[in-house]
Amino acid sequence: MTGLLFVLPMLVLFLIFRIAPTLGAAGMSLTDYKVSGEWSFVGVDNYARLLDDPLFLASLRTTLLYVAIYVPLTMLVSLGTALMLNAAIYAKGLFRGMLFLPYVTSFVLAGVIWRWIYEFDGLLNGLLAKVDLGPVGFLEQSSLVLPALAVVSVWKGFGYSMLILLAGLKSIPGSYLEAARVDGASAWQRFRRITLPLLRPALFFVLIIETIGAFQTFDTIYVMTGGGPARASYTLIYGLYEQGFKFFDFGYAATLGMVLFAMVLIVSLVQRRLLDRGTS
Amino acid sequence: MTITASRPTTTEKKKAAAPAPRRTFGKWPLTVLLGLVSILTVSPFLVMLVVALSPASSPTVPAQWPSELTFDNLVRTLSASGFIGWTMNSLIYALVSVVIILITASMAGYAFAKKRFPGRDALLWVFLATMMVPFQATLIPTFVLVSDLGGIDTYWGLIVPTLANSQAVFLMRQFIKDLPDELFDAARVDGASEWLVYWRIVVPLTKPILATLGVFVFLWHWNDFLWPLVAAQGDALRTLTVGLTTLRGEEVPLAVLMASATISVLPCLLVFALLQRYLVNSIAMTGLK
Repeated sequence: MTGLLFVLPMLVLFLIFRIAPTLGAAGMSLTDYKVSGEWSFVGVDNYARLLDDPLFLASLRTTLLYVAIYVPLTMLVSLGTALMLNAAIYAKGLFRGMLFLPYVTSFVLAGVIWRWIYEFDGLLNGLLAKVDLGPVGFLEQSSLVLPALAVVSVWKGFGYSMLILLAGLKSIPGSYLEAARVDGASAWQRFRRITLPLLRPALFFVLIIETIGAFQTFDTIYVMTGGGPARASYTLIYGLYEQGFKFFDFGYAATLGMVLFAMVLIVSLVQRRLLDRGTS
Repeated sequence: MTITASRPTTTEKKKAAAPAPRRTFGKWPLTVLLGLVSILTVSPFLVMLVVALSPASSPTVPAQWPSELTFDNLVRTLSASGFIGWTMNSLIYALVSVVIILITASMAGYAFAKKRFPGRDALLWVFLATMMVPFQATLIPTFVLVSDLGGIDTYWGLIVPTLANSQAVFLMRQFIKDLPDELFDAARVDGASEWLVYWRIVVPLTKPILATLGVFVFLWHWNDFLWPLVAAQGDALRTLTVGLTTLRGEEVPLAVLMASATISVLPCLLVFALLQRYLVNSIAMTGLK
């Protein structure tokens, strides 16, 4: 029974601050909970409202579009840097450290620096002006704002996925690649036929982690665009924050939270299903 | 993806690669390319530093390099009372969280790994299941709960809701599970109480993983934004990340903003410089995020 005593402090924290809010979110989404604390049961009204809410539907589209831009980009950058680090001979540790550095900083810091980089009188437009280009409104143009935000998140976060993929690459036996080389396989063939298939579990893990992370992007949007311009970067989470802490419509904001939960759950279940299939 | 599995192959690969330089992609072009990508990656930090050290009044990169470097902005930032307060709040938020999570997670991890008690597996499953619930999904009920308990704009309201960390429990459990049972049995035969076993055996033996976890918890909290944003409604409890977002517009010169950003990132850089190996190895091993 002492086992239970050892678990108790964490268990109490869990019951109060994880389990209760999770159940609370589900319950609250069935009410019109207001900031005053008054509420009445409204059934599935909030969920019905989602379907008629153009702001929500647009935010869902924006979120998925952001995921579609961010995930392939970050996979490409982390795979590319991992491959280079794996093949590198000189100053490996130094380069790995430099590439990983942004990961230990905050998204807020990334947002503050890159907001200036993207500004009309910022770094990037200053460089463009030197070759007589621009100025480009990276954060002012609806078509550019999501790619611009995605680049910031890739920069801040790719070091983590890079390390996962690098560990995956290192676990591929060198003898496999050597044997293929002896047999006359080209570098591309070795990559395509040996490295990529053996790296699949690591790639899959990174894909899931990055997709779930992309659903939850908030800090950079808050710092850099405030959901703009013209709501072009107004994602699901940004909507949740606004409904909760600008309009104080807690019931509806909790419902948006349930939508996020459902999205993460679907991705996790797909992962579980595919992993089970892979091991059996 | 264990470290024991990956080590032999790296040495093997080095041996294989060294005598036969690649023909397709020479080692020097690769080094140069990797160097360029690495410099490009750190360049936002470098320009942040250059602007932070530039005189606040004069134009700066990329229009021109600053004619002189000055510490004025850093001094100005550090002497602003708001900034010192934010830094203190971030330190309290991060360090208190580190201490409490390390203790509670290692206790729970030990019990889940080495002890039998009714409902253990069910509890473990519940801990695991909560990992799938994103914090943002429970943001509103957590806020209402803390608010009802009177915790908004208090340190406990800021800190305590972020301590229920299932990743920390699982990391500890995974590590302690691999320790031989005989260690614990021997101590028990000698009449040591369970608390003594925990303090004298579990804690010393898990020091490396406690250090790793401590670093991660520090970074998670130091860099955290959404919860501090809503838990601190007034200025008194703002953390650095929240404070940084209030510095904008005409009233704060760019150089001062970048000086604030520079100081805010120093603890992360310090942690990175001292403990990079821990961070890198633990991510490779466990996928700890």
